Amino acid sequence: MKRRAPANPPLTIQYRQVFILPTRFGWTLALLMFAMLMGSLNFNNNLGLLTTFIVAGLALNSMLMAYHNLRGLRLLHCTAKPVHAGDTARLVVTLSDQDGRSRPALEIRSHDGLSGFDLDGINLETVEIPLRTHQRGWLSPGRLRIQTSHPIGLFEAWAWFWPAQRVLVWPRPAENPPPLPRGAGDDGGRQISRQTDSDNFHSLRNWRPEDPVHRIAWKASQRHQALLAREFRAEVSEQVVLDLARTPASGLEQRISVLTAWVMQAHREGIDWTLNLGKQSIGPAHGERHLNACLRALAEFGQ
Amino acid sequence: MTTALERWFRPRLPGPGELTPAAVYWTLAAFLVAAFPHLMAMPPALAATVVALIGWRGMAVWRGWRPVPGPVRVVLTLTLLALVVIAFGASWGRRLATALLCVMLAAKLMEMFRVRDLRMVASVCFFLVATQFLFNERLVYLSYLVAGCWLATQALGQIQRIQVNQRRGQDRQASPGASGTSGLLSVQSLRQSGRLLVMALPVALILFFLFPRLAQPLWGLPEEAMDGRTGLSDSMSPGSISELFLDHSPAFRVEFEGPPPPPQMRYWRGPVLWRFDGNTWQRAFFSDQRLSEPPLETEASIRYRMQLEPHERRWLLAMDHPVSSTFPESRITVDHHLISRRPVTTLSQYDVVSTPDALISPVLTDVQRNMALHLPQERNPRTRALAEELRQQYADDQALINAVLRWFNEEPFYYSLSVTPLGRHGADEFLFDLRTGYCEYYASAFAILMRSAGIPARVVTGYQGGFWSESGQYLLVRQSDAHAWNEVWLEGQGWVRVDPTAAVAPDRIREGSRSVVESGRALRDAGWLMNLRNQYDRVQHLWNRWVLGFDAERQQDFLQRLGLPEMTATQIGLLMLAALSLFLLPLTWFLFRVSGQRPLSRAERAWKTVRRRLARLGLHAQPSETPREFAGRICRELDSGERQLVQLAIMFSQLHYGVPSARLLEQFERSAQLFRPLRRGKNRFPRLSFGREL
Repeated sequence: MKRRAPANPPLTIQYRQVFILPTRFGWTLALLMFAMLMGSLNFNNNLGLLTTFIVAGLALNSMLMAYHNLRGLRLLHCTAKPVHAGDTARLVVTLSDQDGRSRPALEIRSHDGLSGFDLDGINLETVEIPLRTHQRGWLSPGRLRIQTSHPIGLFEAWAWFWPAQRVLVWPRPAENPPPLPRGAGDDGGRQISRQTDSDNFHSLRNWRPEDPVHRIAWKASQRHQALLAREFRAEVSEQVVLDLARTPASGLEQRISVLTAWVMQAHREGIDWTLNLGKQSIGPAHGERHLNACLRALAEFGQ
Repeated sequence: MTTALERWFRPRLPGPGELTPAAVYWTLAAFLVAAFPHLMAMPPALAATVVALIGWRGMAVWRGWRPVPGPVRVVLTLTLLALVVIAFGASWGRRLATALLCVMLAAKLMEMFRVRDLRMVASVCFFLVATQFLFNERLVYLSYLVAGCWLATQALGQIQRIQVNQRRGQDRQASPGASGTSGLLSVQSLRQSGRLLVMALPVALILFFLFPRLAQPLWGLPEEAMDGRTGLSDSMSPGSISELFLDHSPAFRVEFEGPPPPPQMRYWRGPVLWRFDGNTWQRAFFSDQRLSEPPLETEASIRYRMQLEPHERRWLLAMDHPVSSTFPESRITVDHHLISRRPVTTLSQYDVVSTPDALISPVLTDVQRNMALHLPQERNPRTRALAEELRQQYADDQALINAVLRWFNEEPFYYSLSVTPLGRHGADEFLFDLRTGYCEYYASAFAILMRSAGIPARVVTGYQGGFWSESGQYLLVRQSDAHAWNEVWLEGQGWVRVDPTAAVAPDRIREGSRSVVESGRALRDAGWLMNLRNQYDRVQHLWNRWVLGFDAERQQDFLQRLGLPEMTATQIGLLMLAALSLFLLPLTWFLFRVSGQRPLSRAERAWKTVRRRLARLGLHAQPSETPREFAGRICRELDSGERQLVQLAIMFSQLHYGVPSARLLEQFERSAQLFRPLRRGKNRFPRLSFGREL
């Protein structure tokens, strides 16, 4: 089927790519029409025949309209934001129309769901298609089906396309990761001053479940009607080294999962970190960019 | 198990997003319209139940009622079925079948809470519409056909919308109530389904004219009485024909080859009645036998085409005396009566040749003579006495008949519709006391009188006269033209027609049944109204001729008219497919082009002209360009007109994106019309090459 025409967006759906078959309801109506036809022919009843043929005309037109609703549709591009394995990714497909026609009642179906939309013939339209993810790495959306049973659901026309855009699936962070390996950085050759409770008070921030009870700023919390925790910062900016080989978990996937959780925690806490994945070492650095680079490296590791 | 039972007893309330009110209302409307004629023919109790169920379903949507619990549903359905069986008896017929269908669909409404059910009900509406035509195919039912199909299409469209909305992500789903009410009254959706229907017409017409027809039915047709409509019956008792007088519906129409015969020859022969039991005249046991030697075709023979309305009986009407007909599987009986093998259930067209002055039955068998002379004993003594008296006076049969007719004419006999029931000595009462009656009274009394006098006589029922439509060149015979007359058997002449009514009321024969009745009897018989009826019948006649009467034979005619040779059914089928693909695809293509485009505004149209003129020079706009960017890029390519182009682009931007102004629009349109760009470095007059030859 891929050979029939280009199948990766950007593409314009051509007549060779459109398939069409009656729906279940279409078959039912065909049966009904057959009964009407036999009855009218037998009784030589011309108005009955005319009714039958009007239904036949409706069916034929609805077949053409379903086909016409797809042909010439332009699929411009697909994008998707990375998600953690197990979450549902949303592949965003952008479509437009070549001839300025409005195309109602279109649907795109993936293995994991269905989304419907209309094209008004003037604006670009974006559609989000759910993709369920199971494991880290690059997920190829595979074969997607764009379909329509416009106008009365007798026929379904569809075309397949294979988005070239893959979806990055980050590893799933471990549910209860071991604490960050603070101070375990001797091997990394850096001296890191540990963050202690007696260190300089830095700021108040929202309480998180992992915060110890004694860090809760009770008085401040009462004033703000929310639990606040005191945050302390060492003078020297703190650094952790997150090493795959030293991660306390069994199995590669588990370790990667723990590392993911650590990376995210480090990012939340705003500390610098270095990610060591055997040959590859990223950092030390902090911030969104660094986080994304690390998550991507973790997702791609070993694949 | 328990949950399944529980669900059955306490059905789940359908979620608000499942069915839109619009879809349900339209489906109900389609059902109501499609079932309407069926409901009218049903017993009122049954029809009321069906309507009540439709109403209940509508209310259920409106008020958000729960579905009916399973047991109640079953009980109600069974009750309805029992009602149908009670109302129609055990006789299986088309009425029973359609009533069952209506009732089952109405019962289905109780559990119509899914898209699938809605679709089923909406599509069966088409079927209901088609079945109605088994009962009546009049022209007015065309509007029923259109309305039924339109509503069903509309319902299907609305149901499709539900599914689309369901599949749309939840974030996109509009609040169902809002979309439901706006869809309900939206003219646009009605127009869309109307367009769908109109676009179906070309296909429907091609199929209609080219779909191969069956020359023979595949299975037998059930015999069944007409609902509500009456026609001639195969027996005659006092009052049976005068009932028909009030029925102005057409019985048949005739087109003659050549001029129409004079009114006194227009006797349309129906059942011939031999047996008389004192009250009712009936056919003889041999009446269906085939006539071994039909009359010959002579120079005086009349050829004509009949267009017979369905009457559910087997006889076909023909003028005296039929020689041959083209009706399939028909025959001429010993009574010179044309009958078919099956009841006439649809409008039928057939050609007949009749010889009016044929000599029929020169010899009478003993059986026939006995039957034609038989009278019940001890009845009508005064008539018998009169017959004996006449017999003594006139030895010759013909003279006796003439004397009786003279007597009818001279004595105060009246022709009237007011029917008085007659007793045991019906002929006596009529001839000597009452002397007022309709044609069947005269025919019956005359036959009794003749038989008493020893002359074999029988009663012929049928139609007499008809309305000649000068503009349409056809004769319209209505039910009210029903008539009864006599035939007497005379030595050497065979059966001879005698019409006692003609002696009493000659106008009845010359000018039709209407002339004999006092004027101003009722508003519906007013002259102008009758005129209107006749005009309407012309249209109906054309409709019958071209639409209803279109059969295998007409189809061949039609193809020959198109210049095609005679074809078999397979060939016609192939022709149909060829015509469909050749004619339909480009047409549908065209319709799509027209229907799919957004209408352009005036400014856009003018701008399109500008762009078309530039495109001729090979200058195209990029999709990403604004009009002004486009003009800026293009004007460098132009040899003349670049300034205008930039101005036009500015004006268009203002009109299209800014505040519109009528004056600017006019100016824009004018300058767009005058805009004639020339491209730099190209042939100066690329489009004017013919000018050089001048």
